[in-house]
Parts: sequence; structure tokens; C-alpha cells
Amino acid sequence: MRDVLLCGRKWRQGALSAIPSWHRRRAAIFQLAATLLLSSLLLGVGFVAAKPLFDQLTAVAVQRYGPPGRDAVTAWRRLLADAAGLDEVEQVRRVNAFFNRRIQYESDDVVWHQNDYWATPLETLGRAMGDCEDFAIAKYVSLEALGIPRSKLRLTYVRAQIGGPTSGIVQAHMILGYYPEPSADPMILDSLISEIRPASRRPDLAPIFSFNAEGLWVAGAPAVSDPTARLSRWRDVLQRMAQEGIQ
Amino acid sequence: MSLIKQLWLAISAVTLLVFGGAFLLTTVAARNYLAEQLYVKNVDNATVLALSMSQMPKDPVTLELQVSAQFDAGHYRSIHLLAPDGSTLLARQDDRTADDVPAWFAALTPLTVKPGVAQVQDGWKQFGRLEVESHTRYALAELWRSTLHLAGWCVAAALLTSLVASLLLRLLLRPLDQVVTQAEAIGARRFITTEEPSTPELRRVVRAMNALSDRVKLLMLEESRRVEELRRKAQADPLTGLAGREAFMSALAARLEPDQTIGAGCIAVLRVTALGELNQRVGRIVADQCLLQLSESLRTLVETRTGAIAGRLNGSDFAILLPGESDDGVVLAALLDAAGDATSTLTPPSSLPIGATHYLPGEAPGHVLARMDSALAASERSGQPEIREAPRRDDFREPTDAEGWRHLLDEALAPGKVLLGHYPVVTPTGAVLHFESPVRLNLGGQWQPASRFVAWAARLGKLQTVDALVLDAAFKRIKATGEPLGINLSLESVRHPEFARMIADRLHADPELAQALWLEVPEHGAYHHLEAFRNFCHALKPTGCRIGLEHAGPGIARIGELHDVGLDYLKIDAAIIRGIDAHPGNQAFLRGLCMVAHAIGLQAIAEGVSTPSEREALPGLGIDGLTGPAIQAG
Repeated sequence: MRDVLLCGRKWRQGALSAIPSWHRRRAAIFQLAATLLLSSLLLGVGFVAAKPLFDQLTAVAVQRYGPPGRDAVTAWRRLLADAAGLDEVEQVRRVNAFFNRRIQYESDDVVWHQNDYWATPLETLGRAMGDCEDFAIAKYVSLEALGIPRSKLRLTYVRAQIGGPTSGIVQAHMILGYYPEPSADPMILDSLISEIRPASRRPDLAPIFSFNAEGLWVAGAPAVSDPTARLSRWRDVLQRMAQEGIQ
Repeated sequence: MSLIKQLWLAISAVTLLVFGGAFLLTTVAARNYLAEQLYVKNVDNATVLALSMSQMPKDPVTLELQVSAQFDAGHYRSIHLLAPDGSTLLARQDDRTADDVPAWFAALTPLTVKPGVAQVQDGWKQFGRLEVESHTRYALAELWRSTLHLAGWCVAAALLTSLVASLLLRLLLRPLDQVVTQAEAIGARRFITTEEPSTPELRRVVRAMNALSDRVKLLMLEESRRVEELRRKAQADPLTGLAGREAFMSALAARLEPDQTIGAGCIAVLRVTALGELNQRVGRIVADQCLLQLSESLRTLVETRTGAIAGRLNGSDFAILLPGESDDGVVLAALLDAAGDATSTLTPPSSLPIGATHYLPGEAPGHVLARMDSALAASERSGQPEIREAPRRDDFREPTDAEGWRHLLDEALAPGKVLLGHYPVVTPTGAVLHFESPVRLNLGGQWQPASRFVAWAARLGKLQTVDALVLDAAFKRIKATGEPLGINLSLESVRHPEFARMIADRLHADPELAQALWLEVPEHGAYHHLEAFRNFCHALKPTGCRIGLEHAGPGIARIGELHDVGLDYLKIDAAIIRGIDAHPGNQAFLRGLCMVAHAIGLQAIAEGVSTPSEREALPGLGIDGLTGPAIQAG
């Protein structure tokens, strides 16, 4: 229970970003143009975009986290291989169980020495630690990799009441919702409890906002860093995943 | 293609590449930047709107109001709310395009920005999917405007760069032009020296060429001195350095040729009587001193006159030949002065007999000498200088004074008509180099050669008018026949810059004329007015006409001073040519003279070739062209 309290997150107020005046940026553009001119001259044909392969993931894991990292990734790949072809509900169950069993809940403070850090599945598996959004992201990515359409998956910010219906402790939390049908009651994949329950049986959670990777450039884009993607946590983590070899 | 053009093209290409590339890249970068920013705005605004919709009631009116509020107050092309099954729940759209952006620009730089997508929740249930697309038209307008700006700047900068580059090129390559000019001059055997340019590579080239020129100049100097020495040996009296009897007689014979341009003149002889007695009385050394002083005075007298010569005919007889001089008073006064100076140291001062006579071209040398001898004999008897007139001609009554001559010449020149003589100058193989065209003037109803009037025309300042008429006639004849013509110009004309300019203008306008024109100036005059002559050459050489010296030979020692003006030929004085076949000393001199001439690219032409044996002997001595009574065309 003590851990749960640490999943709290501070909302970073994202103001409607007006486009910065192009005038102010003109100097920077000229500089960019000069750099581009120079680099295109220097590089000539340009570089071949790295083709992200799932195999690459193992190599990165070994390099970063050693044998435990390799084992974790191997286990994950085995899970994905075993679950392939099963029906969606079974896939959801296995993925949920895999991560809830394997990953130890720790706050970002402890794992990353940062206030709020969205880890990629590889980072989560490599360290075997993560907080609520790391669980949700890892599960989302796994299910998407198993072929479940994005329209059935939602990462959802929820207001979680900790310690039973009468408790006054409220916590910002993130879960993954699985919608068997678009209009159906979602199944909740949570890090707080290991069991998957339909939303109607989770009175402790109140949904605030949900999102998935639909409509985002980054998900399908080549792993060239898009400077604007860094500004959004969600796009940032998708981009880092792409660079690590997860598509 | 010239070097400057190639460099300029290269610079232009690089400039175009740099500015064109910068322009394209900047435009593309700006477009990408705008697209990126618009996409971020789409995503953020979609998220915000979806979040607010997730929290609000989902009745149609509230939804509609929320979307409208966002759409109407913001800058959107479209906001769509789609149900999970894909059907449209709500849609707002603005399809206006940017009106101040040309269609081709919009098509060329399409600003395609993906819509921002966010999910709307109704509690745990999916409610819909929100797609927000910002309007790109103001971004496109901004892109268009800045592209125009940028294009303007790039064009201006490229023009400026090109301008600066071409100025710089011209500055850098100016020394190169100089170097090329000098190299060409040296190629044409004009050994000029030029200032060393500041460019190190070119400086080394120029330095080398200057060194070459200097060495040639030095060589010329040495060589011409050697040749001058040969001339002295062949022609001069050993003690005084004046012409010996033989050389003097050759010169007289040359001046008496009927058709030569210097004209009538005077010849005078001064006898140092009783030289033997003088030797005994004052000693040989003092007597020789005396003779040397006399020689020096005579030399100064003839030095600046065309064709003039001073000679020692025998031990005691000193003679001067002054062609073109018609005033006997001048001659006698000069001789008396000379004699007075020479004998002033003797006691008692002895008055020396002087005999003089006028001569006319066409007279036999024997007649002239006889007249001079009779004058000398008379002077010995009378103790006074004696002078004899040339015989009157029956065909032409010469005026006796300046007024008469002025009247006669004005009358002759007024109609603007002159005749030109026509004497071939040929190569040893017989090919015609050009035709000498001495002037004839209609004096009192008869066409008379220059020798008849040239002295008076000079004295009365009419030569420039004569020259102008001669050139007119020559141009006409060249136009009509295409024959190359040799024209004698007087010093008066050479000394007037505007005269040279006038000819140059005429020749620049018609290069064919220039090709056929050979202009010649007396050697004496050229050296006497060296600066004027150099200017004359600089003005006329670029037209392509040829310039030469006539009556050349006596001034050979100074030929080095003219090594860089671009002379084309020397016409060697008849006095040297006469009897060349039988005179080994003169042959050695002439051979040296031809060598020096060839060394600086001059043709050597022999004047006054009067016998077949002379004609046979000359080519072997290095002569390139011959003219005179013994020469016919073909």
C-alpha cells in the first residue's frame, strides 16, 4: 500500500501551444539551412534508416542490462510467441499476468531518480521495476504487438480511491483499458491488483482521460528523431521504443 | 574563351549554386518547421478539447457548443468528432484558401499537416475520436512572403557577389594583361621593360622578361658600337674621325641622285694652307690639335641634319655637304666660325680659303666638284670665301626669295593635288615589298620632284600640308590598286601629335589601309626628336601600319634607343650602298648593320642601288630589300 501512494503524478499543465512567431525563429532557420547545406555536402548520399527489428531488442538489452536483461527480453518474446494466435481475452490475461508478476512496483524517484519518467517496455523489463504508467505502457505495447487493434486499447488516467470505498485517500493513477467491443465495458489491466476486472467492478477508479497511439505520427515514423516528439511524454516514449527496435 | 571569362563563369556558377542552394534549403526548412509547429498545435488542441469533452455532458447541444467555441474562436480548417464505428457525430470545416498566395506556389510547397487525434471518453465508455486540423493558409501566406523576401535577398547578394568578383578579377588580372602585352612585344622583337606587378607569380615572369629586354638592350648597345667602329674604320679619316674622301664622295653622289627627297643643297671646302709649314712651325702635336678642333666644329655642324656629312678630302682639305640647305650665308658663317676657332690659338691667326657651291640633284658629281674647286682657287687668290651658284635649269625658273617661294607653294598646294612617284622596293628574289612614292608638286605648271622645293617648303612651314596631301593621295591609290606604298613623312609632321592622331584615326577606321602603308622618317630627325618620334610610333603602331627610318646608317650607334618602339624597317642610306661591291670596309659595316637590324626584328632595305654589281652584292650582306635606279619591279 505504501508503494501505491508513490504512483502520484503531478500534472504538467500543457497550455495550448500557439505557434511561436516564425519571425523570431527565422535566424534559427537560416542557421539550420546552413547546417543542412553543409551536412548534405559532407554526407553525400545520406544514411540508411536503421530497420528496426525485434531481434535488435535482445542485443540492446544485453548491452544495457547484461544477462538479466537478456533473460527478461527472452521471456517477453516467449510470452508473445506463446500468446500469438490465442483469443484476445486470453492474450490480455497472459500479458497482464506476465508484467504484474515480473515487474516490481517502484516509483520513478527510486528507479529513475526523476519526478516523472515514462519508461519503454525494454527499460521496464531491463530493470524489472516500474510504476503505474510503465506497467500500462508495457502491456499496451505487448497487446498491440500481439495484433490487438489500437481502437480496443486505451491508456487511461484515472482517479484511484485507495483503501476501500470509504477511504478518503485519492491517487492519480494510470491503467490500461481493453475494450472487447468499442462500445463495451472495458477490462481494466491494473498494477494495483493482479486480477483483470471489468470497469463496472472497479468502483475505486474514476476515468478522467484516455488516449492511445491512434493518429500519432511517431508510431509509424522511421526512427529519426522528430524534435517535437521529445516535448510530448507519450510521443517521446513511442519514439524511444522505435529506436530500441520495438514497432 | 579568355581566362577572365572562364574565371567569371566559374564564380557565377559557384555563386548560383551557393545562393540557389541556400534559398531552396531555407525554403524547405521553413516549410518543414511550419508543418511541424502546426502538427504540434493540432495534437495539443485535440487533446485539450477531448479532455474537456470527456468531462462535460455528452448531449448534442453541449458537444456542438464546445466544438463551435473552439472552431470559431480558433484557427482551424476542420474539427471532426467521429463515433467509435467511424460515423461522423459532428463536423466543422473551413475550406477557404490563402488568396494572396499564387496557386503554383501552394502546389509546389504543399503544407500537408496531419490532424491531431484524441479520444473522447464517456465515463469508461469510448465516446468518440476527435480530429483537429489547423488552418494552413496563414502559414502558407507567411511562407510565401518570406520566400519572396529571401529570393530578393539572394538575388541581390548574388548580384553583389558577382559585381565584386568581376571587379576583383579585373584588378587581379590587370597585371596579366601587362605581362601578355610585354610577351607579345618581345615576340615581335620589341624588347620593352615594364613595371613589376605585385602578384608574385607574375612578378617573376615580368622580372625574367625585363632581364631579357635589358640583356638584349645591352647586347644591342655593344653590337651597334662594334658596327659603328666598323663604319669608322671603313669610312673615316684616322686622325679626325671625319668621313674619308671615298665616303664623302659616295655621300655626294647619293645626294645628287635625281629623284631623292632631301633636295638641293650646299657643298663647301676649307683648305688649311701650308699644313706642312704649320707642322714645322708649331710642332705636329699642336697642329693636330688644331685640326681636331676644326673637325669637331664641322661635326657639330652636320650632326643634326639629314644627309649632311663632314669629310677630310685630303691632308689639308676639309669639306661639308649640307643637303637641303639653300642659304649660303648660313653655311659660310658657320665655316668661318669653325675656322676662326681652330686657328685662334695660332700666331699669327691665318685666314683659311673657303670655296662653296650650290648643287642641284641630277647634276654630275664631277661638275659640282669642279665648281667647288674653282671657288676654292678664287678664295685662295682673293682671301675671301667664294661661292658659286648652281646652274639655272631651263625647265623651271626658281623664285629668288622667300616671298616668291611662298607664293609658288601656296599656288601649288591650293588645289589639294599632288602626284606620287612609283619606285619599287623589292626583295632579293624580286617580290615587291612596297612602292616608294615620293611627292611631286605642280610648280608653275610642271610637276617637280621634292628635291626642288622641299628645302623651301620646310623653311616656310608647308611640309605638314604637303604630307597631308601625300597621305590622301596614297590612301586613294591603295584603295584603287591595293598596292603597298612607302610614304616619306617630314619631321614637322612627326612632331605634331595631332597629325599622328589624324592618321591613326583614319587607319583605325580602315585596317586595310594600315596594312598597305609603310611610313618612313629620316634617321637623323628621329634621333634628334626622339621623344616626338617615340610618341608618333606609339600612336600609329597599334593601327598595324609599318614604320621605318630612311637614310639610316650614320646613327646606327643609337639604334638601341629605338629598340622598344616597334620599328619595322631601316632604309640604309645610299651613301653606304654606293660602290658596296668594291669596298670591303663598307661591306663589313653593312653586314654588322643588317645583323643588328635583324636582332630587333627590322628589315634592312638598301637605298639608291644604282648598279647591277651592287644589286648582286647586297643580298649576301644580309639586305632584305632593294630600291634605287637599278631596281625594277618583278
